[in-house]
Amino acid sequence: MVRRSAARVILAALLCGAAAASARAQTLQRLTVESFALSTDQGTPKAGAVFHLTVALNVRERVSSIENLDLPMLAQLDLLGDERQTVSGPRGTQYRETIAVSAPNGGPIAVAPATLQAIDARDGKAKQWYTNGLTLHVVATASSVLQTGAQPFFAALWFALRALLWLIAAISVVLLAVVLFRRRRAPAPLLVAAAHPMPVTPPERSRRQHAEDALTVLAAERTRAAAVVVRGAIWRMVGAAEGETLGDVLGRPQSKDLTMRGLLIALERSAFTYDDDLSGAIEDACAALRRYIDAAA
Amino acid sequence: MIAARVPSDLRLALGRTIVGQEGVIEALLLALLANGHVLLEGPPGLAKTLACRALAAALEGDFKRIQFTPDLLPSDIVGTRIFDQRESAFATVLGPIFANVVLADEINRAPAKVQSALLEAMQERQVTIGPQSYALPDPFVVMATMNPLDSEGTYALPIAQMDRFLMKVRVGYPSREEELGILERFAVTDTQPVRAVATLDDVRAWRAQAHAVHIDEKLKRYIVELVARTRDAGAVSVSSETAAPLRVAELIDYGASPRATLALAFLARGRALLDGRDFALPDDVRAVANHALRHRIGFNYRLAVEGVSPERVIDAIVASVPAP
Repeated sequence: MVRRSAARVILAALLCGAAAASARAQTLQRLTVESFALSTDQGTPKAGAVFHLTVALNVRERVSSIENLDLPMLAQLDLLGDERQTVSGPRGTQYRETIAVSAPNGGPIAVAPATLQAIDARDGKAKQWYTNGLTLHVVATASSVLQTGAQPFFAALWFALRALLWLIAAISVVLLAVVLFRRRRAPAPLLVAAAHPMPVTPPERSRRQHAEDALTVLAAERTRAAAVVVRGAIWRMVGAAEGETLGDVLGRPQSKDLTMRGLLIALERSAFTYDDDLSGAIEDACAALRRYIDAAA
Repeated sequence: MIAARVPSDLRLALGRTIVGQEGVIEALLLALLANGHVLLEGPPGLAKTLACRALAAALEGDFKRIQFTPDLLPSDIVGTRIFDQRESAFATVLGPIFANVVLADEINRAPAKVQSALLEAMQERQVTIGPQSYALPDPFVVMATMNPLDSEGTYALPIAQMDRFLMKVRVGYPSREEELGILERFAVTDTQPVRAVATLDDVRAWRAQAHAVHIDEKLKRYIVELVARTRDAGAVSVSSETAAPLRVAELIDYGASPRATLALAFLARGRALLDGRDFALPDDVRAVANHALRHRIGFNYRLAVEGVSPERVIDAIVASVPAP
């Protein structure tokens, strides 16, 4: 279950990457980034409860859409929805993407920064910007504890401790008042880190990591749709533009490696073969991915 | 599942007779697999007729050659009814169209009236002589040749007949190496006779296999979009030798018919089968796009004026539609 939900999130991330990568293949936008930040509406969400992650970007230019913005890989969260808003005005463009998520289990979760690739209008160089990262502390609830396979003992213990919770709640009210008081004095946000457009050299995700993500998705979601998404992700990995055919991709220098060629051909089969052959084709594609991962190790 | 004799025996048999011209050999095999007719266009001396004869000889079937001339009559092709004085009744004499492989040589040298005699045969696979219709043998393939250089004494093929050809193949000049091979093979000896390597039952079995080749929903939509783009090219443009890039829509009077959609699917299936696959890919569609579309699109005079070939226009259309 956890494996499937993780795969769904990676799948969504691959889908989000698809739009960005197709644009990337064409050209980078020329932008003057003024702020770029990642925030959440709940720093300590409850397990199973819906909360939101927000990526906010302000640029000086008036643009109709923001391209080449990659969301973080939310492997430990369930993706529930995604809403984008772009507002252009005389003072530039505000882009805001809100992702509704929920955490299936309790415990700390590290959310990696979102990235943006663009040409810096200040100096004309292609750069990558990072938001801040986030660390969420997910509070396990009774239902989530039970769902994750805990014994009924924990449930009984939880109900016995409910009386104590009322006491803790009273203490929390006092603590909250203190926190609010401190916030007023120091308005720096607790979770929204300072958003500075800091051009830094991006830590490239290796091909092996991409292939591992693809294998996770395909092994968990043995469907045509997942195969098509994985095929697209691997094609982008070798520099293919949208709309190319297998023949075009195999002609690229990045596809000369025999293991990669085998992988590309296997993924093409899983995307286009008939339904009765789909299971075998996906199995072959997974095997080809494993071979590629082993060879890249 | 895949019949090994298609790519090996038949292709090898043709390769023993024809030097180079891999594209022509593949096109003939595709027409055979897709149960369609093929029009070969190219200058004289490029082995068009030889290729058709070789394919017919490689199959254990009836082969007839019809040399199209300006004085040819429809009855010379389909047959006629003659009066039998001994029986005092009309008897039907079937024409040379009743064969498995029919070579219509220099098809554009006969007037439209004669070419129209082929319409029923090519589409319905039957011929009507007098009051009676006669079914043509199965398989039945018309392989026509035409020379694009001569304009004197030739007639333009009717649009309806052009559309009935599954594919039109441009036959180009051989490379230097291929021409050297032609010199070595045929300068001292005559053309090697081709031995039959496949039966008509083999052909029918291959067709059944080609028909079973899977075309995914994404690929079907891709094919439909390609054909639709020939009718409404939008902002697609093609570079010109004489001027700025030209809008494709201004070069086309009418786009391809739904037969083109079917032709692309049939040919893609055939190519997948030749490649040993039982599912078609976008590459298959792209590879056969020119064969299936070049004679089905109505180009206007500007194409010639601007020095743009139909193939470049089709390539631009294909490039404008993202493959799935």
